[in-house]
Amino acid sequence: MAQNANLALDVSNVIMQYPLTKALAGVSIEVAPGEVFGLLGPNGAGKTSLISIIVTLEKATSGQVKVFGHDVARESQLAKLQTGWVPQEIINHGFFTVNEILGFHGGYYGVRDSKKRVDELLNILGLWEHRFKKVKQLSGGMKRRLMIAKALVHKPRLLLLDEPTAGVDVDLRKRLWEFVEQLRRDGISILLTTHYLEEAERLCDRVAIIHNGQIRAVGETRKLIEQWSRKKVVLRLLEPVEGYKNHPDYMSGQGSEWTFFTKMSKPLGELMQELQVPMGNLKDLQVQDGNLEDVFVQLTSATKGAH
Amino acid sequence: MDLTWTPFFTLFRREIMRFMKVIIQTVITPFVSSTLYLMIFGVSLGKSIVLKDQLPYLSFLIPGLVMMSCLNNSFQNTSSSIVSSKFSGDLEDFKVAPLTPWQIILALSMAAVLRGLLVGGITFFVGEASYFFTYGTALGVSHPFALLLFLILGSLCFANFGVVVAFWARSFDQLSAVSGFVLLPLIYLGGVFFSVENLPPLWRSVSLYNPLLYMINGVRYGILGVADVEPQRAALVTLLAFLLTTGLAVRCLKRASFQRW
Ligand SMILES: Nc1ncnc2c1ncn2[C@@H]1O[C@H](COP(=O)(O)OP(=O)(O)OP(=O)(O)O)[C@@H](O)[C@H]1O
Ligand SMILES: [Mg+2]
Repeated sequence: MAQNANLALDVSNVIMQYPLTKALAGVSIEVAPGEVFGLLGPNGAGKTSLISIIVTLEKATSGQVKVFGHDVARESQLAKLQTGWVPQEIINHGFFTVNEILGFHGGYYGVRDSKKRVDELLNILGLWEHRFKKVKQLSGGMKRRLMIAKALVHKPRLLLLDEPTAGVDVDLRKRLWEFVEQLRRDGISILLTTHYLEEAERLCDRVAIIHNGQIRAVGETRKLIEQWSRKKVVLRLLEPVEGYKNHPDYMSGQGSEWTFFTKMSKPLGELMQELQVPMGNLKDLQVQDGNLEDVFVQLTSATKGAH
Repeated sequence: MDLTWTPFFTLFRREIMRFMKVIIQTVITPFVSSTLYLMIFGVSLGKSIVLKDQLPYLSFLIPGLVMMSCLNNSFQNTSSSIVSSKFSGDLEDFKVAPLTPWQIILALSMAAVLRGLLVGGITFFVGEASYFFTYGTALGVSHPFALLLFLILGSLCFANFGVVVAFWARSFDQLSAVSGFVLLPLIYLGGVFFSVENLPPLWRSVSLYNPLLYMINGVRYGILGVADVEPQRAALVTLLAFLLTTGLAVRCLKRASFQRW
Protein backbone atom coordinates (compact mmCIF):
# COMPACT_ATOMS: atom_id res chain seq x y z
CA MET A 1 0.00 0.00 0.00
CA ALA A 2 1.34 3.39 -0.97
CA GLN A 3 -0.03 5.12 2.10
CA ASN A 4 2.06 2.89 4.36
CA ALA A 5 5.19 4.82 3.48
CA ASN A 6 3.69 7.65 5.46
CA LEU A 7 3.18 5.67 8.65
CA ALA A 8 5.47 6.44 11.57
CA LEU A 9 5.39 2.80 12.54
CA ASP A 10 4.02 -0.09 10.57
CA VAL A 11 4.11 -3.48 12.27
CA SER A 12 2.64 -6.27 10.23
CA ASN A 13 2.11 -9.86 11.26
CA VAL A 14 4.99 -10.07 13.65
CA ILE A 15 5.58 -13.40 15.31
CA MET A 16 8.17 -13.76 18.04
CA GLN A 17 8.96 -17.26 19.16
CA TYR A 18 11.34 -17.56 22.11
CA PRO A 19 12.67 -21.01 22.95
CA LEU A 20 9.92 -21.55 25.53
CA THR A 21 7.35 -18.87 24.79
CA LYS A 22 5.53 -17.45 21.86
CA ALA A 23 5.71 -13.82 22.93
CA LEU A 24 3.97 -12.42 19.83
CA ALA A 25 1.49 -14.40 17.80
CA GLY A 26 1.02 -12.30 14.67
CA VAL A 27 0.82 -8.70 15.79
CA SER A 28 -0.05 -5.82 13.47
CA ILE A 29 -0.30 -2.18 14.49
CA GLU A 30 0.02 1.11 12.69
CA VAL A 31 1.04 4.39 14.25
CA ALA A 32 0.30 7.50 12.24
CA PRO A 33 2.67 10.48 12.24
CA GLY A 34 2.08 12.76 15.20
CA GLU A 35 -0.02 10.21 16.99
CA VAL A 36 0.29 9.04 20.60
CA PHE A 37 -0.38 5.35 20.52
CA GLY A 38 -0.82 3.30 23.71
CA LEU A 39 0.15 -0.35 23.75
CA LEU A 40 -1.59 -1.74 26.81
CA GLY A 41 -1.57 -5.20 28.23
CA PRO A 42 -0.91 -7.20 31.37
CA ASN A 43 2.56 -8.36 32.44
CA GLY A 44 4.04 -10.74 29.94
CA ALA A 45 1.63 -9.72 27.17
CA GLY A 46 4.47 -9.07 24.72
CA LYS A 47 4.83 -5.28 24.80
CA THR A 48 8.56 -5.18 25.47
CA SER A 49 9.14 -8.00 22.99
CA LEU A 50 7.52 -5.93 20.26
CA ILE A 51 9.55 -2.85 21.15
CA SER A 52 12.75 -4.93 21.19
CA ILE A 53 12.00 -5.98 17.64
CA ILE A 54 11.37 -2.40 16.52
CA VAL A 55 14.77 -1.32 17.87
CA THR A 56 16.46 -4.45 16.40
CA LEU A 57 17.53 -5.87 19.75
CA GLU A 58 15.55 -8.96 18.81
CA LYS A 59 14.90 -10.41 15.43
CA ALA A 60 11.29 -11.32 14.74
CA THR A 61 10.64 -14.95 13.86
CA SER A 62 8.53 -13.63 11.02
CA GLY A 63 6.70 -10.49 9.99
CA GLN A 64 7.78 -7.00 9.06
CA VAL A 65 8.38 -3.75 10.89
CA LYS A 66 8.80 -0.40 9.18
CA VAL A 67 9.68 2.96 10.69
CA PHE A 68 8.70 5.83 8.39
CA GLY A 69 8.75 3.38 5.51
CA HIS A 70 12.16 1.88 6.35
CA ASP A 71 12.28 -1.82 7.10
CA VAL A 72 14.10 -2.23 10.44
CA ALA A 73 15.80 -5.38 9.22
CA ARG A 74 16.85 -4.29 5.76
CA GLU A 75 17.27 -0.52 6.12
CA SER A 76 18.19 -0.53 9.74
CA GLN A 77 20.41 2.56 9.63
CA LEU A 78 17.60 4.72 8.28
CA ALA A 79 15.04 3.26 10.65
CA LYS A 80 17.33 3.64 13.66
CA LEU A 81 18.01 7.30 12.93
CA GLN A 82 14.29 8.06 13.20
CA THR A 83 13.74 6.10 16.37
CA GLY A 84 14.26 7.01 20.02
CA TRP A 85 14.04 4.26 22.60
CA VAL A 86 13.33 4.50 26.32
CA PRO A 87 13.86 1.02 27.72
CA GLN A 88 11.79 -0.50 30.49
CA GLU A 89 14.92 -1.40 32.43
CA ILE A 90 17.28 1.40 33.40
CA ILE A 91 20.61 1.22 31.61
CA ASN A 92 23.58 1.83 33.83
CA HIS A 93 26.67 3.36 32.27
CA GLY A 94 29.45 2.44 34.63
CA PHE A 95 31.87 5.27 35.12
CA PHE A 96 30.35 7.84 32.83
CA THR A 97 28.50 10.98 33.88
CA VAL A 98 25.10 12.15 32.67
CA ASN A 99 26.74 14.74 30.45
CA GLU A 100 29.12 12.25 28.88
CA ILE A 101 26.42 9.64 28.38
CA LEU A 102 24.25 12.09 26.46
CA GLY A 103 27.17 13.36 24.39
CA PHE A 104 28.19 9.83 23.42
CA HIS A 105 24.66 8.91 22.55
CA GLY A 106 24.40 11.87 20.20
CA GLY A 107 27.70 10.86 18.62
CA TYR A 108 26.51 7.33 17.92
CA TYR A 109 23.71 8.89 15.88
CA GLY A 110 26.14 11.09 13.98
CA VAL A 111 25.44 14.33 15.87
CA ARG A 112 28.86 15.94 15.86
CA ASP A 113 28.28 18.82 18.22
CA SER A 114 25.52 17.84 20.57
CA LYS A 115 26.29 20.24 23.42
CA LYS A 116 23.45 22.63 22.67
CA ARG A 117 20.93 19.85 22.34
CA VAL A 118 22.23 18.08 25.45
CA ASP A 119 22.04 21.27 27.53
CA GLU A 120 18.52 21.90 26.30
CA LEU A 121 17.40 18.41 27.29
CA LEU A 122 19.16 18.61 30.66
CA ASN A 123 17.18 21.76 31.36
CA ILE A 124 13.83 20.51 30.12
CA LEU A 125 14.12 17.29 32.09
CA GLY A 126 15.49 18.89 35.23
CA LEU A 127 18.83 17.13 35.12
CA TRP A 128 21.04 20.19 34.82
CA GLU A 129 22.26 20.11 38.44
CA HIS A 130 22.95 16.41 38.11
CA ARG A 131 24.92 16.49 34.89
CA PHE A 132 28.20 15.51 36.52
CA LYS A 133 26.76 12.54 38.38
CA LYS A 134 27.11 8.92 37.42
CA VAL A 135 23.96 6.88 36.85
CA LYS A 136 24.25 5.06 40.13
CA GLN A 137 24.34 8.41 41.94
CA LEU A 138 20.93 9.38 40.52
CA SER A 139 17.55 8.65 42.08
CA GLY A 140 15.15 6.33 40.28
CA GLY A 141 13.14 9.22 38.82
CA MET A 142 16.29 10.96 37.60
CA LYS A 143 17.44 7.75 35.94
CA ARG A 144 14.12 7.59 34.07
CA ARG A 145 14.53 11.16 32.92
CA LEU A 146 18.06 10.40 31.78
CA MET A 147 16.76 7.50 29.70
CA ILE A 148 14.25 9.87 28.09
CA ALA A 149 16.88 12.52 27.45
CA LYS A 150 19.11 9.89 25.84
CA ALA A 151 16.33 8.81 23.54
CA LEU A 152 15.81 12.38 22.35
CA VAL A 153 19.38 13.61 21.74
CA HIS A 154 19.27 12.80 18.04
CA LYS A 155 15.78 14.31 17.57
CA PRO A 156 13.94 11.15 16.55
CA ARG A 157 10.56 11.35 14.84
CA LEU A 158 9.30 8.20 16.53
CA LEU A 159 9.66 7.74 20.26
CA LEU A 160 9.18 4.38 21.95
CA LEU A 161 8.39 4.70 25.64
CA ASP A 162 8.41 1.37 27.48
CA GLU A 163 6.79 2.11 30.84
CA PRO A 164 8.39 5.52 31.25
CA THR A 165 6.57 6.13 34.54
CA ALA A 166 7.42 2.89 36.33
CA GLY A 167 8.73 3.72 39.78
CA VAL A 168 8.08 7.43 39.38
CA ASP A 169 6.26 9.56 41.97
CA VAL A 170 2.89 11.23 41.33
CA ASP A 171 4.31 14.65 40.69
CA LEU A 172 7.01 13.55 38.28
CA ARG A 173 4.55 11.27 36.55
CA LYS A 174 2.32 14.23 35.89
CA ARG A 175 5.23 16.25 34.56
CA LEU A 176 6.41 13.40 32.35
CA TRP A 177 2.98 13.08 30.78
CA GLU A 178 2.94 16.84 30.22
CA PHE A 179 6.28 16.42 28.53
CA VAL A 180 4.80 13.73 26.30
CA GLU A 181 2.02 16.20 25.40
CA GLN A 182 4.71 18.70 24.50
CA LEU A 183 6.45 16.16 22.28
CA ARG A 184 3.17 15.43 20.58
CA ARG A 185 2.72 19.14 19.88
CA ASP A 186 6.22 19.12 18.38
CA GLY A 187 4.97 16.48 15.96
CA ILE A 188 6.76 13.46 17.37
CA SER A 189 4.96 10.15 16.99
CA ILE A 190 4.89 8.13 20.19
CA LEU A 191 4.32 4.49 21.03
CA LEU A 192 4.03 4.00 24.76
CA THR A 193 3.30 1.23 27.16
CA THR A 194 2.04 1.86 30.68
CA HIS A 195 0.03 0.22 33.39
CA TYR A 196 -1.55 3.57 34.36
CA LEU A 197 -4.72 3.22 32.35
CA GLU A 198 -6.32 6.46 33.46
CA GLU A 199 -3.35 8.38 32.15
CA ALA A 200 -3.26 6.37 28.96
CA GLU A 201 -6.93 7.19 28.45
CA ARG A 202 -6.27 10.89 28.79
CA LEU A 203 -3.16 10.91 26.64
CA CYS A 204 -3.45 8.39 23.86
CA ASP A 205 -5.15 9.15 20.55
CA ARG A 206 -5.43 5.45 19.95
CA VAL A 207 -4.71 2.35 21.96
CA ALA A 208 -4.22 -1.33 21.33
CA ILE A 209 -4.94 -3.94 23.95
CA ILE A 210 -2.50 -6.80 23.74
CA HIS A 211 -2.88 -10.08 25.58
CA ASN A 212 -0.91 -13.30 25.24
CA GLY A 213 0.90 -11.92 22.24
CA GLN A 214 -2.27 -11.01 20.36
CA ILE A 215 -3.90 -7.69 19.72
CA ARG A 216 -7.38 -7.95 21.23
CA ALA A 217 -8.65 -4.58 20.14
CA VAL A 218 -7.28 -1.47 18.56
CA GLY A 219 -8.78 1.90 17.84
CA GLU A 220 -9.45 5.42 18.98
CA THR A 221 -9.45 5.46 22.74
CA ARG A 222 -12.96 6.97 23.00
CA LYS A 223 -14.42 4.55 20.51
CA LEU A 224 -12.92 1.55 22.25
CA ILE A 225 -14.43 2.72 25.49
CA GLU A 226 -17.78 3.11 23.79
CA GLN A 227 -17.52 -0.26 22.19
CA TRP A 228 -16.12 -2.38 24.99
CA SER A 229 -17.08 -0.76 28.25
CA ARG A 230 -20.44 -0.23 29.89
CA LYS A 231 -21.79 2.68 31.78
CA LYS A 232 -22.99 2.06 35.27
CA VAL A 233 -26.47 3.34 36.10
CA VAL A 234 -27.55 3.41 39.75
CA LEU A 235 -31.24 3.94 40.36
CA ARG A 236 -32.62 4.94 43.79
CA LEU A 237 -36.39 4.87 44.30
CA LEU A 238 -38.76 6.25 46.88
CA GLU A 239 -40.98 3.15 46.89
CA PRO A 240 -39.43 -0.32 46.45
CA VAL A 241 -40.30 -2.19 43.24
CA GLU A 242 -39.88 -5.75 41.98
CA GLY A 243 -39.06 -7.36 38.65
CA TYR A 244 -36.03 -5.45 37.40
CA LYS A 245 -33.90 -8.55 37.95
CA ASN A 246 -34.94 -9.93 34.58
CA HIS A 247 -33.75 -6.90 32.67
CA PRO A 248 -30.72 -7.82 30.50
CA ASP A 249 -28.67 -4.91 31.88
CA TYR A 250 -29.38 -5.79 35.50
CA MET A 251 -26.27 -6.02 37.62
CA SER A 252 -27.18 -5.96 41.31
CA GLY A 253 -29.57 -4.54 43.85
CA GLN A 254 -33.19 -4.93 44.88
CA GLY A 255 -36.11 -3.01 46.41
CA SER A 256 -35.31 0.67 46.25
CA GLU A 257 -31.73 0.55 44.93
CA TRP A 258 -30.74 -1.01 41.60
CA THR A 259 -27.57 -1.10 39.56
CA PHE A 260 -27.46 -1.63 35.78
CA PHE A 261 -24.61 -1.85 33.30
CA THR A 262 -25.58 -0.68 29.86
CA LYS A 263 -23.82 -0.23 26.58
CA MET A 264 -22.11 3.14 26.30
CA SER A 265 -23.98 3.73 23.06
CA LYS A 266 -27.38 3.07 24.55
CA PRO A 267 -29.21 6.29 25.47
CA LEU A 268 -30.24 6.57 29.09
CA GLY A 269 -33.80 7.34 28.06
CA GLU A 270 -34.06 3.95 26.38
CA LEU A 271 -33.16 2.18 29.62
CA MET A 272 -35.63 4.34 31.55
CA GLN A 273 -38.36 3.50 29.10
CA GLU A 274 -37.61 -0.20 29.32
CA LEU A 275 -37.75 -0.06 33.09
CA GLN A 276 -40.87 2.13 33.07
CA VAL A 277 -39.90 4.04 36.19
CA PRO A 278 -42.62 6.56 37.08
CA MET A 279 -41.00 9.96 37.41
CA GLY A 280 -42.68 10.45 40.76
CA ASN A 281 -40.94 7.41 42.24
CA LEU A 282 -37.46 8.48 41.17
CA LYS A 283 -35.32 9.59 44.10
CA ASP A 284 -31.87 9.68 42.58
CA LEU A 285 -30.07 8.67 39.37
CA GLN A 286 -26.34 8.14 39.10
CA VAL A 287 -24.56 7.52 35.81
CA GLN A 288 -20.90 6.61 35.57
CA ASP A 289 -19.24 6.38 32.17
CA GLY A 290 -17.09 3.40 31.33
CA ASN A 291 -13.36 3.87 31.13
CA LEU A 292 -10.29 2.29 29.62
CA GLU A 293 -9.80 0.11 32.65
CA ASP A 294 -13.14 -1.57 31.94
CA VAL A 295 -12.06 -2.18 28.36
CA PHE A 296 -8.78 -3.58 29.59
CA VAL A 297 -10.41 -5.92 32.07
CA GLN A 298 -13.03 -6.99 29.55
CA LEU A 299 -10.44 -7.89 26.94
CA THR A 300 -7.68 -9.38 29.03
CA SER A 301 -9.54 -11.48 31.58
CA ALA A 302 -12.03 -13.24 29.33
CA THR A 303 -9.53 -15.73 27.95
CA LYS A 304 -7.38 -16.13 30.99
CA GLY A 305 -8.75 -19.57 31.68
CA ALA A 306 -7.68 -20.78 28.28
CA HIS A 307 -3.99 -20.56 29.15
CA MET B 1 25.09 14.74 10.61
CA ASP B 2 27.73 12.25 9.66
CA LEU B 3 27.26 8.53 10.05
CA THR B 4 30.77 7.46 9.13
CA TRP B 5 33.30 9.22 11.29
CA THR B 6 31.31 10.77 14.10
CA PRO B 7 29.98 7.47 15.52
CA PHE B 8 33.41 5.89 15.15
CA PHE B 9 35.30 8.69 16.87
CA THR B 10 32.67 8.96 19.59
CA LEU B 11 33.03 5.31 20.45
CA PHE B 12 36.82 5.50 20.16
CA ARG B 13 36.86 8.44 22.57
CA ARG B 14 34.49 6.69 24.92
CA GLU B 15 36.76 3.66 25.07
CA ILE B 16 39.82 5.78 25.80
CA MET B 17 37.94 7.68 28.49
CA ARG B 18 36.83 4.38 29.96
CA PHE B 19 40.33 3.08 30.54
CA MET B 20 41.56 6.48 31.64
CA LYS B 21 38.86 6.56 34.32
CA VAL B 22 40.12 3.33 35.78
CA ILE B 23 43.75 4.17 35.20
CA ILE B 24 44.95 2.44 38.35
CA GLN B 25 43.58 -0.83 37.11
CA THR B 26 44.35 -0.36 33.45
CA VAL B 27 47.74 1.30 33.39
CA ILE B 28 49.34 1.50 36.82
CA THR B 29 48.85 -2.16 37.85
CA PRO B 30 50.42 -3.54 34.66
CA PHE B 31 53.23 -1.04 35.12
CA VAL B 32 53.91 -2.37 38.61
CA SER B 33 53.81 -5.98 37.51
CA SER B 34 56.21 -5.51 34.61
CA THR B 35 58.59 -3.62 36.90
CA LEU B 36 58.49 -6.58 39.27
CA TYR B 37 59.20 -9.03 36.44
CA LEU B 38 62.15 -6.95 35.32
CA MET B 39 63.56 -6.66 38.82
CA ILE B 40 63.20 -10.31 39.74
CA PHE B 41 63.86 -12.15 36.51
CA GLY B 42 65.91 -9.65 34.61
CA VAL B 43 68.12 -7.95 37.11
CA SER B 44 68.40 -10.43 40.02
CA LEU B 45 68.18 -13.88 38.45
CA GLY B 46 69.23 -12.91 34.98
CA LYS B 47 72.75 -11.78 35.82
CA SER B 48 73.98 -15.35 35.91
CA ILE B 49 72.42 -16.27 32.57
CA VAL B 50 74.22 -15.55 29.36
CA LEU B 51 72.60 -16.42 26.07
CA LYS B 52 74.05 -17.20 22.69
CA ASP B 53 75.21 -14.12 20.75
CA GLN B 54 76.61 -12.93 24.10
CA LEU B 55 73.35 -11.10 24.87
CA PRO B 56 72.59 -10.55 28.54
CA TYR B 57 69.33 -12.15 29.69
CA LEU B 58 67.83 -8.76 30.50
CA SER B 59 68.01 -7.72 26.87
CA PHE B 60 66.24 -10.96 25.94
CA LEU B 61 63.54 -10.39 28.52
CA ILE B 62 62.68 -6.75 27.77
CA PRO B 63 61.15 -7.29 24.30
CA GLY B 64 59.17 -10.26 25.62
CA LEU B 65 57.75 -8.23 28.48
CA VAL B 66 56.93 -5.28 26.24
CA MET B 67 54.94 -7.51 23.91
CA MET B 68 53.28 -9.30 26.82
CA SER B 69 52.11 -5.96 28.21
CA CYS B 70 50.75 -4.89 24.83
CA LEU B 71 48.90 -8.13 24.20
CA ASN B 72 47.49 -8.53 27.68
CA ASN B 73 46.24 -4.98 27.88
CA SER B 74 44.71 -4.99 24.43
CA PHE B 75 42.80 -8.14 25.26
CA GLN B 76 41.76 -6.83 28.65
CA ASN B 77 40.54 -3.55 27.22
CA THR B 78 38.09 -4.83 24.64
CA SER B 79 36.94 -7.80 26.66
CA SER B 80 36.31 -5.99 29.92
CA SER B 81 34.67 -3.07 28.14
CA ILE B 82 32.20 -5.36 26.42
CA VAL B 83 31.58 -7.59 29.40
CA SER B 84 30.96 -4.67 31.73
CA SER B 85 28.64 -3.14 29.12
CA LYS B 86 26.75 -6.41 29.02
CA PHE B 87 26.46 -6.15 32.74
CA SER B 88 25.24 -2.56 32.88
CA GLY B 89 23.11 -2.84 29.75
CA ASP B 90 24.69 -0.17 27.60
CA LEU B 91 25.78 -2.79 25.10
CA GLU B 92 22.13 -2.62 24.00
CA ASP B 93 22.72 1.00 23.03
CA PHE B 94 25.39 -0.09 20.55
CA LYS B 95 22.84 -2.29 18.84
CA VAL B 96 19.99 0.20 18.92
CA ALA B 97 22.12 3.09 17.62
CA PRO B 98 23.07 3.14 13.94
CA LEU B 99 26.61 1.91 14.66
CA THR B 100 27.93 -0.65 12.20
CA PRO B 101 29.88 -3.78 13.25
CA TRP B 102 32.99 -2.37 11.58
CA GLN B 103 32.74 0.92 13.42
CA ILE B 104 32.38 -0.90 16.72
CA ILE B 105 35.30 -3.24 16.07
CA LEU B 106 37.63 -0.56 14.79
CA ALA B 107 36.83 1.85 17.61
CA LEU B 108 37.15 -0.79 20.30
CA SER B 109 40.30 -2.41 18.97
CA MET B 110 42.09 0.84 18.18
CA ALA B 111 41.44 2.14 21.68
CA ALA B 112 42.68 -1.20 23.00
CA VAL B 113 45.85 -0.92 20.93
CA LEU B 114 46.40 2.54 22.32
CA ARG B 115 46.22 1.17 25.85
CA GLY B 116 48.47 -1.74 24.87
CA LEU B 117 51.07 0.60 23.40
CA LEU B 118 50.83 2.86 26.43
CA VAL B 119 51.55 0.05 28.86
CA GLY B 120 54.06 -1.54 26.47
CA GLY B 121 55.85 1.79 26.15
CA ILE B 122 55.99 2.19 29.92
CA THR B 123 57.37 -1.35 30.21
CA PHE B 124 59.98 -0.52 27.61
CA PHE B 125 61.14 2.56 29.49
CA VAL B 126 61.28 0.71 32.81
CA GLY B 127 63.27 -1.98 31.00
CA GLU B 128 65.63 0.60 29.51
CA ALA B 129 66.17 2.13 32.93
CA SER B 130 66.95 -1.28 34.45
CA TYR B 131 69.30 -2.05 31.60
CA PHE B 132 71.07 1.26 31.95
CA PHE B 133 71.59 0.88 35.68
CA THR B 134 72.84 -2.68 35.26
CA TYR B 135 75.12 -2.35 32.23
CA GLY B 136 75.77 1.36 31.96
CA THR B 137 74.51 1.61 28.35
CA ALA B 138 71.09 1.91 26.78
CA LEU B 139 69.49 -0.89 24.82
CA GLY B 140 69.00 0.39 21.26
CA VAL B 141 66.13 -0.34 18.88
CA SER B 142 67.43 -2.13 15.78
CA HIS B 143 64.36 -2.01 13.53
CA PRO B 144 61.86 0.58 14.77
CA PHE B 145 59.46 0.06 11.87
CA ALA B 146 59.32 -3.70 12.34
CA LEU B 147 58.94 -3.19 16.08
CA LEU B 148 55.93 -0.94 15.63
CA LEU B 149 54.41 -3.27 13.06
CA PHE B 150 54.59 -6.29 15.36
CA LEU B 151 53.37 -4.35 18.37
CA ILE B 152 50.37 -2.92 16.55
CA LEU B 153 49.36 -6.02 14.60
CA GLY B 154 49.79 -8.25 17.64
CA SER B 155 47.74 -5.91 19.81
CA LEU B 156 45.00 -5.74 17.17
CA CYS B 157 44.85 -9.55 17.17
CA PHE B 158 44.41 -9.65 20.91
CA ALA B 159 41.91 -6.79 20.87
CA ASN B 160 39.85 -8.66 18.29
CA PHE B 161 40.16 -11.84 20.26
CA GLY B 162 38.95 -9.95 23.33
CA VAL B 163 35.84 -8.90 21.39
CA VAL B 164 35.12 -12.48 20.37
CA VAL B 165 35.61 -13.92 23.85
CA ALA B 166 33.58 -11.17 25.53
CA PHE B 167 30.61 -11.70 23.21
CA TRP B 168 30.83 -15.44 23.72
CA ALA B 169 31.20 -15.29 27.51
CA ARG B 170 28.10 -15.79 29.63
CA SER B 171 29.77 -14.65 32.86
CA PHE B 172 32.83 -12.92 34.25
CA ASP B 173 34.12 -16.37 35.21
CA GLN B 174 34.22 -17.57 31.65
CA LEU B 175 36.13 -14.48 30.65
CA SER B 176 38.79 -14.94 33.31
CA ALA B 177 38.95 -18.65 32.48
CA VAL B 178 39.92 -17.82 28.91
CA SER B 179 42.54 -15.32 29.92
CA GLY B 180 43.92 -17.61 32.65
CA PHE B 181 43.82 -21.00 30.91
CA VAL B 182 44.31 -20.02 27.28
CA LEU B 183 46.05 -16.69 26.91
CA LEU B 184 48.48 -16.79 29.79
CA PRO B 185 49.94 -20.22 28.88
CA LEU B 186 50.18 -19.18 25.23
CA ILE B 187 52.04 -16.03 26.18
CA TYR B 188 54.39 -17.77 28.60
CA LEU B 189 55.05 -20.65 26.23
CA GLY B 190 55.53 -18.19 23.39
CA GLY B 191 58.98 -17.44 24.71
CA VAL B 192 58.65 -14.33 26.84
CA PHE B 193 61.01 -15.60 29.52
CA PHE B 194 63.10 -18.18 27.70
CA SER B 195 64.22 -19.11 24.26
CA VAL B 196 62.33 -21.98 22.65
CA GLU B 197 65.68 -23.31 21.49
CA ASN B 198 66.28 -24.39 25.08
CA LEU B 199 63.12 -26.53 25.10
CA PRO B 200 63.18 -30.31 24.62
CA PRO B 201 62.64 -31.17 20.91
CA LEU B 202 59.03 -32.27 21.37
CA TRP B 203 57.97 -29.08 23.11
CA ARG B 204 59.92 -27.04 20.67
CA SER B 205 57.98 -28.44 17.74
CA VAL B 206 54.71 -27.90 19.61
CA SER B 207 55.69 -24.28 20.29
CA LEU B 208 56.09 -23.69 16.58
CA TYR B 209 52.29 -23.83 16.33
CA ASN B 210 51.85 -21.07 18.88
CA PRO B 211 51.26 -17.81 17.00
CA LEU B 212 52.45 -15.93 20.06
CA LEU B 213 55.93 -17.27 19.46
CA TYR B 214 56.05 -15.37 16.19
CA MET B 215 54.61 -12.17 17.58
CA ILE B 216 56.98 -12.10 20.53
CA ASN B 217 59.99 -12.93 18.41
CA GLY B 218 58.96 -10.30 15.92
CA VAL B 219 59.23 -7.71 18.67
CA ARG B 220 62.52 -9.21 19.78
CA TYR B 221 63.80 -8.84 16.25
CA GLY B 222 62.60 -5.25 16.19
CA ILE B 223 64.53 -4.35 19.32
CA LEU B 224 67.56 -6.63 19.31
CA GLY B 225 67.92 -7.36 15.61
CA VAL B 226 68.05 -11.10 16.34
CA ALA B 227 65.34 -13.62 17.24
CA ASP B 228 64.50 -17.32 17.39
CA VAL B 229 62.32 -17.03 14.31
CA GLU B 230 62.97 -15.44 10.92
CA PRO B 231 61.34 -12.00 10.83
CA GLN B 232 59.57 -12.63 7.49
CA ARG B 233 57.92 -15.73 8.80
CA ALA B 234 57.01 -13.96 12.03
CA ALA B 235 55.40 -11.13 10.06
CA LEU B 236 53.44 -13.55 7.91
CA VAL B 237 52.04 -15.48 10.87
CA THR B 238 51.15 -12.26 12.70
CA LEU B 239 49.39 -10.90 9.65
CA LEU B 240 47.41 -14.10 9.21
CA ALA B 241 46.43 -14.07 12.86
CA PHE B 242 45.29 -10.48 12.47
CA LEU B 243 43.11 -11.29 9.46
CA LEU B 244 41.66 -14.35 11.14
CA THR B 245 40.77 -12.59 14.39
CA THR B 246 39.31 -9.63 12.51
CA GLY B 247 37.10 -11.96 10.52
CA LEU B 248 35.99 -13.72 13.69
CA ALA B 249 35.25 -10.45 15.47
CA VAL B 250 33.14 -9.09 12.61
CA ARG B 251 31.20 -12.35 12.39
CA CYS B 252 30.66 -12.24 16.11
CA LEU B 253 29.31 -8.68 16.06
CA LYS B 254 26.93 -9.50 13.25
CA ARG B 255 25.48 -12.52 15.00
CA ALA B 256 25.95 -12.26 18.72
CA SER B 257 23.35 -11.01 21.15
CA PHE B 258 23.76 -7.53 22.56
CA GLN B 259 21.30 -8.17 25.35
CA ARG B 260 22.25 -7.57 28.91
CA TRP B 261 22.91 -10.28 31.46
N1 LIG C 1 14.69 -12.91 26.14
C1 LIG C 1 13.64 -13.72 26.35
N2 LIG C 1 13.76 -15.05 26.27
C2 LIG C 1 12.70 -15.86 26.45
N3 LIG C 1 11.47 -15.44 26.72
C3 LIG C 1 11.27 -14.12 26.83
C4 LIG C 1 12.34 -13.19 26.65
N4 LIG C 1 11.84 -11.93 26.81
C5 LIG C 1 10.53 -12.09 27.08
N5 LIG C 1 10.18 -13.39 27.10
C6 LIG C 1 8.82 -13.92 27.31
O1 LIG C 1 7.96 -13.31 26.38
C7 LIG C 1 6.72 -12.99 26.96
C8 LIG C 1 6.42 -11.53 26.77
O2 LIG C 1 7.32 -10.75 27.54
P1 LIG C 1 7.40 -9.17 27.43
O3 LIG C 1 8.60 -8.74 28.18
O4 LIG C 1 7.29 -8.78 26.02
O5 LIG C 1 6.09 -8.73 28.22
P2 LIG C 1 5.57 -7.27 28.56
O6 LIG C 1 4.26 -7.11 27.90
O7 LIG C 1 6.59 -6.26 28.27
O8 LIG C 1 5.35 -7.39 30.12
P3 LIG C 1 5.57 -6.32 31.31
O9 LIG C 1 4.34 -5.51 31.42
O10 LIG C 1 5.74 -7.20 32.50
O11 LIG C 1 6.79 -5.55 30.99
C9 LIG C 1 6.82 -13.42 28.42
O12 LIG C 1 6.18 -14.66 28.54
C10 LIG C 1 8.29 -13.56 28.67
O13 LIG C 1 8.52 -14.58 29.60
MG1 LIG D 1 7.67 -4.95 29.35
